[in-house]
Amino acid sequence: MKITWMIGGEQGSGVDTASVLFGKAVSSAGYYVFGNREYYSTIKGRHSYFELSMSDKKVNSIPENYDIITTFDAETVFQHFKQAKKYFIYSETKKKKTIDSVLGMEPETKKEILDFMAANKIEPTVEGVVKYLNTKNINTIAVDYEKIIREVAEEQNINIAIAEKSMNTIAASVSFALLGLDRNFLIQAIANIFLKKQDVIQLNNLAAEKAFGLVKPVFGLNPLEKQERIQIDGNTAAALGKIAGGIAFQSYYPITPASDESVYLEANQTVDTKNENNYGTRSIVVVQAEDEISAIGMAIGSALTGARSATATSGPGFALMGEGLSWAGQTETPIVVTYYLRGAPSTGLPTRSGQADLKFAVNIGHGEFPKIVLASGDHKEVFHDAILAFNLAEKYQTPVIHIIEKAIANTYSTLDIKDLDYSQTEIDRGKLADPDPDPEKQYKRYALDAGPVSPRVPLGRNSIAWYSGDEHNEVGHVSENSTNRTIMYDKRMKKLELAEKEIHDDEKFNVFGDSNSENVIITFGSPKGALIDIIDDLSKEKIKLQIVQIRIFTPFPAKGLAELLQNKKRVIDVENNYTAQLGSFVSEYLHISPTHYILKWNGRQMNTEELKDAIKRIINNDEKRIVLSDGV
Amino acid sequence: MVNYKTTEFIDWCPSCGDFGILSSETMALADLGIDRSKTVVVSGIGCSSKTPHYINVNGVHTLHGRGITYASGIKLANPDLKVIVNSGDGDLLGIGVGHLVSAGRRNLDITIILHNNGVYGLTKGQASPTLHRGLQTKSLPTKNINDSLDPLALALTAGYTFVARAYAYDAMFTKEIIKKAIMHNGTALVDVLQPCPTYNNINTKEWYEKRIYKLEEDYKVGSAEEANEKMTKALIKSFEWGDKIPIGIFYENNLIPSYGERIAEHIPAYFTDPPSKQIIEQNRRSTTDISKLLKNLNV
Repeated sequence: MKITWMIGGEQGSGVDTASVLFGKAVSSAGYYVFGNREYYSTIKGRHSYFELSMSDKKVNSIPENYDIITTFDAETVFQHFKQAKKYFIYSETKKKKTIDSVLGMEPETKKEILDFMAANKIEPTVEGVVKYLNTKNINTIAVDYEKIIREVAEEQNINIAIAEKSMNTIAASVSFALLGLDRNFLIQAIANIFLKKQDVIQLNNLAAEKAFGLVKPVFGLNPLEKQERIQIDGNTAAALGKIAGGIAFQSYYPITPASDESVYLEANQTVDTKNENNYGTRSIVVVQAEDEISAIGMAIGSALTGARSATATSGPGFALMGEGLSWAGQTETPIVVTYYLRGAPSTGLPTRSGQADLKFAVNIGHGEFPKIVLASGDHKEVFHDAILAFNLAEKYQTPVIHIIEKAIANTYSTLDIKDLDYSQTEIDRGKLADPDPDPEKQYKRYALDAGPVSPRVPLGRNSIAWYSGDEHNEVGHVSENSTNRTIMYDKRMKKLELAEKEIHDDEKFNVFGDSNSENVIITFGSPKGALIDIIDDLSKEKIKLQIVQIRIFTPFPAKGLAELLQNKKRVIDVENNYTAQLGSFVSEYLHISPTHYILKWNGRQMNTEELKDAIKRIINNDEKRIVLSDGV
Repeated sequence: MVNYKTTEFIDWCPSCGDFGILSSETMALADLGIDRSKTVVVSGIGCSSKTPHYINVNGVHTLHGRGITYASGIKLANPDLKVIVNSGDGDLLGIGVGHLVSAGRRNLDITIILHNNGVYGLTKGQASPTLHRGLQTKSLPTKNINDSLDPLALALTAGYTFVARAYAYDAMFTKEIIKKAIMHNGTALVDVLQPCPTYNNINTKEWYEKRIYKLEEDYKVGSAEEANEKMTKALIKSFEWGDKIPIGIFYENNLIPSYGERIAEHIPAYFTDPPSKQIIEQNRRSTTDISKLLKNLNV
């Protein structure tokens, strides 16, 4: 079973809280959820919404349409009514609102909606929409939010303005009541979200109780048995992975959608440690730098002292880090950059998603130097890749770029606690000189007698070392000698060959589906979730698929992929960009070109239905390039 | 006797002011008896930024304008280290001025030695941010039409807690100032006036030596009440330029907590267990336990 739900409203009006509340209540009843937050680059006023899929099995993607749409303002009614499948909740007192009274709506959006309304003879009011939905056999539910708020204010003896803050709880409660699950799940979630604020909890409980009685439990769901689970978004998964992986220093400059990770780290900077039977704590230093140039510089400086160090940013900030990454490559400094992809170029769509920066991540920094680029496909992978990124950085003494899209950062999912088990995960600090070299002898940071990776002695031990972005000799002093240049360059580049040999295939790519299928899909990052969710459905329709999700781009896993891709009838490339960047890597390294493309660049991640439809069109009609455009 | 100079060939022009600063700095380190392995000299790019290779302590030769950022990371992760930044006026006041200003807001315990000669030497003599308007040094095709930045005034208003000026050819005086700057617990700026015999034919040795005089002001802030007054005096003094140019310590304030101390307010164990000293694995398994954090995410 799968039920899809959304809630929308003005940004800052509590949509986020309502969505977390609903998600937690559903999750605690034993269902898995996957939720996505869409918002403008603003703080208050514009339309934002949250969409969610829930299921008794793991769910990994967003839907196209919703079984339940929950609204409390007029704009959400106009923006989303076309996506209604079964139940549509709206505000009784906003029935007369016209589309012209909605001020924040972009003219392009308004025109699209009005065109649709004209074509379908819908009067451009909330009431008009409700009438239209009724003709489509969608159940519309009018809720008198103001009446409930007035009652709550009276019973609690509080100001109406304070009682109004429970509007979102009312909306979440009405829709939760439709599910048929016990109201205690909701009450627990309220307590969980508002922690110890007793007055807020009381207010919301009362609002929830009143809202609960308004509808019938039509979906008739029962609570399910479950093991210990968490609900986690991509920013938090990255932060937790870094913590588990031993991060000690993070510098950052505020940018959407990256900063939530750094803020989480700072809020939880003192973490528990367990060393055999000794329990203790250690603390992560988190610094807000003056810009991203400084953020990468500080992280590199910290890395030189031996601390696991990282920064997190998004496109515009990453662009400023190019020179620093080049320095880290040249000086063989282990550094992790968590790169949150959003809509580009320039400021682009700062709060939306995209995958247009894959080649930028791979090519950033002037000159040639080894650089390891990873991209995670879901929240669980984000956590484990964050640990892996540190291991690879230190093992190969080089920058590692960990790509996480906004579509993963700002979505959340339910995970089993064991999904984040890292008790058997190796922490590999790479080649550290042990014991420290004799301080009487000159330490050679770039000693050539130990293979491509020279033993590292962090700054502050008993040795003296030099680091320079100039070409340097074994000691680290500047050298422009041509023979030295050839050797040192080769030493650095050889590390990438070593990495290619040593990194396990299952860290390079994931393979799902039917290996005998004549169709193979190549993808990376967020489309993974939607692809996994449709594989069984398509199989029922006699469409067999094998899915290859690539997780590492330098070194590119050409050999392993070639075995999977050769002799396939169709190689379908699925990406959230225009130029099919992953596809061009595959062509370049494997000499196998994708035969079909599914691309999307409107800032919204791929949903289950549109992707399913596109694959069917490829298989049935041999359409070569399908551009997806769904999403509000 | 510890030798604080390396044997690397020094490729500065003959009689470059950088030689004077290098000697002063190595003498200062020797006088203080600083542990070489616990000292890091960080630089940006330019003639003066080659300094780390000539000093026999740890050296980090970074990017143009970015030395302060690397130095900050090093110091934050290992507060036991003495961290000194040597860079030029183009580096610190041109491309890197944002970092120079932001460093003042933190008051991290690092020392910044500004090699100030009015020109971009390594790119053959373009005007630097400290070259005064109307001057035309010999490699400039026209007169400089930009006003100059005053590094001392900038540092004072940015929050630096130790602000001084020295003169490269007065090595003993410069050494004493650098010693005090290194021992100061907070961000220190030492602006060292320095002739560039190759490209700056205006602010020459003779030009400077006719003008400079040593300050004998009481520069140290003794109480919070007198901080404004002392800073105002220092600011006024910093604008003195022309027939007379003061050198010496302009301002020192030990009442402002260093960045490390500010961090320690949130992380009491910061100085004993800073990022660089943390043990994060045992038998190649993580020693960090996130179960408490996971509990908060339970559903």
